[in-house]
Amino acid sequence: MDVSATNPLLDGLRIEPTPQPTVLVIFGASGDLTNRKLLPALYQLARGQRLPAQFRVLGVARTSWDDEAFRAHFHESLKTFAGLADPDEVSKALASDLFYVGGEMDDPALYARIASKLAEPGWPDGVLFYLAIPPTVYKQVVSRLADATLVKPRVDNGWRRVIVEKPFGTDLASARELNRALHRYLDEPQIFRIDHYLGKETVQNLLVFRFANGMFEPVWNRRYIDHVQITAAETVGVERRAAYYESAGALRDMVQNHLMQVLAHVAMEPPIRFSAENVRDRKLDVLLSIQPLQSSNGDDRTPLDVVRAQYTAGWVNGAEVPGYRQEEGVKTSSLTETFVAMRLQLDSWRWAGVPFYIRTGKRLPKRTTEIAIQFRRPPLHLFKRVSPTSISPNLLIVNVQPDEGISVRFEAKLPGTRMQLAPVMMNFRYGSAFGRAVPEAYETLLLDAMLGDPTLFARHDFVEHSWGLITPVHEAWAASGATEIPAYEAGEWGPREADQLIAADGRRWRTL
Amino acid sequence: MEDAVNSASMGLLPDGQDVPFSDIESTMAQLAREGRRRKGGPARALTATVVVVGEPDRMAEAAEALGLLSEAAGVRTILISEGQETAPSARVTAHAIGIAGLAPRFLNNAVAALRLSSLPTAVWWRGGPAEALQEIAHLADRLVIDVEDPARAWRVVGSIVDETAVTDLRWGRLTRWRSIFAHLYDLPAVRHARVRRLSLTASDPFAARLFAGWMRAMLQWSPDVAIHLVRADAPSKWPIESVQLEADGVDITVKTGSGHPCLHATIAGKETSTRIVPLGNGALKAVIGEELAVRSRDIAFERALDAALEVPAWP
Repeated sequence: MDVSATNPLLDGLRIEPTPQPTVLVIFGASGDLTNRKLLPALYQLARGQRLPAQFRVLGVARTSWDDEAFRAHFHESLKTFAGLADPDEVSKALASDLFYVGGEMDDPALYARIASKLAEPGWPDGVLFYLAIPPTVYKQVVSRLADATLVKPRVDNGWRRVIVEKPFGTDLASARELNRALHRYLDEPQIFRIDHYLGKETVQNLLVFRFANGMFEPVWNRRYIDHVQITAAETVGVERRAAYYESAGALRDMVQNHLMQVLAHVAMEPPIRFSAENVRDRKLDVLLSIQPLQSSNGDDRTPLDVVRAQYTAGWVNGAEVPGYRQEEGVKTSSLTETFVAMRLQLDSWRWAGVPFYIRTGKRLPKRTTEIAIQFRRPPLHLFKRVSPTSISPNLLIVNVQPDEGISVRFEAKLPGTRMQLAPVMMNFRYGSAFGRAVPEAYETLLLDAMLGDPTLFARHDFVEHSWGLITPVHEAWAASGATEIPAYEAGEWGPREADQLIAADGRRWRTL
Repeated sequence: MEDAVNSASMGLLPDGQDVPFSDIESTMAQLAREGRRRKGGPARALTATVVVVGEPDRMAEAAEALGLLSEAAGVRTILISEGQETAPSARVTAHAIGIAGLAPRFLNNAVAALRLSSLPTAVWWRGGPAEALQEIAHLADRLVIDVEDPARAWRVVGSIVDETAVTDLRWGRLTRWRSIFAHLYDLPAVRHARVRRLSLTASDPFAARLFAGWMRAMLQWSPDVAIHLVRADAPSKWPIESVQLEADGVDITVKTGSGHPCLHATIAGKETSTRIVPLGNGALKAVIGEELAVRSRDIAFERALDAALEVPAWP
């Protein structure tokens, strides 16, 4: 064996794998995402020795900073978002690898300065560009990078990758256009479309749970599963994102990306092997099997099985909160939906006849994201005469956040001489079961991008098909001429119409 | 003798209840029910059995290290100190069992009776006859050797590696050292350099031999590469104090920091650069917690140990 071709010292090393030498270039280095998520994630990766042997960060933004100002910002970020009151040796060492270049994103001179920095001696030729900037400038930045020949490596073993944040487009046409624009300069394997839900431990664990255990997959189909409910509930309102949210709404903000990815993990067929392309092919199959959400009845463009709503003033987390239209930056006549509920039908052998109910909203009573798989009841209620209570159907609940884990609900006999039944829950929690901290999603995703593993990133065709499902709904809403949409009081679980949507099938939303 | 055994047992689990061996399971179930009733929480899922075997004076430290682990991770802990008792009493809590002074020949019987069925069993070996180690191996999914002088235990490893995922706790303590060398090996200047000499300064000769064995085995060094072990001047919290790798055109020195628990690496060649990485939490609780979570066979350790047995001890 030629030991110089690979790194045998990595064999069996539990702190693995580590990326090749890397420069991380962050566009939007002075922005909120960098401050809250990226810099703390880099520190945690450094603490865990997950960063490459040679590693540099080049911050890029309009703010007039120099290297020292960026480093001071880094320490402030760790103080606020990583709980590091004072710099330690790790943060100091990492700070010394932080550099900064300021300028306007459309100025070619900025890219010349970046190129000059990257060409300095000792800087690796593996470069990961992170676009933590508004989507409106993605195309411009990538084309400027290409003009400055920054998207092609200088040496044979170099590489260039680009992480693109959500939202990736605002509808099918814009997503296609953005993909075309990126593909003009980059190959698909160079593009990493980030969806932080995919970095969550429980979402990744869904694949392990389903495909590394023999007992679940045989019942994971229409014969045994009655329906699936996916809930992503937030207690917060629109906060400081009114400008973005007004043009996005819950359907674009949550369903098109996060919840479609979650749905794909629940419903996908087993991949032939655990490789990025195989996993992403099977996820795409799920989207291809979803029946259109638009009415197929002539000119009727009413969205089928979709309910939208907006929160009004109410009470959440122990305090009174204003309605959506009273939030700063929101139009008083806004029709932007802060809540969506929908029923999806998958036209596949495995899932025919099994509805997938999705709901997501802001200002709901509690913050939680979960997938609830409800199984069919037993064919015969054997204990009907002796037990006064009805049998609850079995439930398998995957908690995505905040308390990541899996619970199973099943019926058990209550202790006593009578045959009385009661549902019990069996819980597995990531926070306690393994006695170790669960990494933040951005740590996982940053590392994967440095390693060049795109499994947990969205592929261009997934993004486009997801928009292909959602865009007709937006078009139908726009064409409806509605001047009002259903409302729900902040602190409640959505509007009455959402209850009616599921009640029409003889079912009800889970009480969370 | 009886008094000595009881006091040792109480030292292990001061809040426990003394019971005959045959009542261990029923008493634990009762204590668990009472605990849940007091706390009002749901039953915690069980994940594994951890068996600690060793000399009485090393058990209290192990019990303390595992205390939180069993509560937080749903682990049943069985602490067995060795002695001459053939019918020892036991002391139990809801999650832990202490057996003091058990004759080594009955060790595997006790573990077979008390481990949780259908869940992994890890054995933390803190001392005892090599024969008992060999016998308990087939009951263990994971076997962590943690003795001051592992020469006898290391010789047993070759015969049990097919039965259990065996390691030495030193190996866990060396993880950060191995990791930083693996990182540095990614540098082209290091990867392509011909190594001439490896020097280690250590307070633990076995850790030093294991590390040197790992480098030699993984990089397939010929006997021409000199390995030089130096005894540290004073005992240290860390098994190794410094490692120096001399190669053509590049020298690497990695040593422990003086303040925070960090490793400082210096790569000297055409250019000189440094790296600082955290050394991790060297506390026994952290190290053993990580090792006990591993279930799979560690081929790198086995190769390192094979090579370490050939590395001469320091003069």
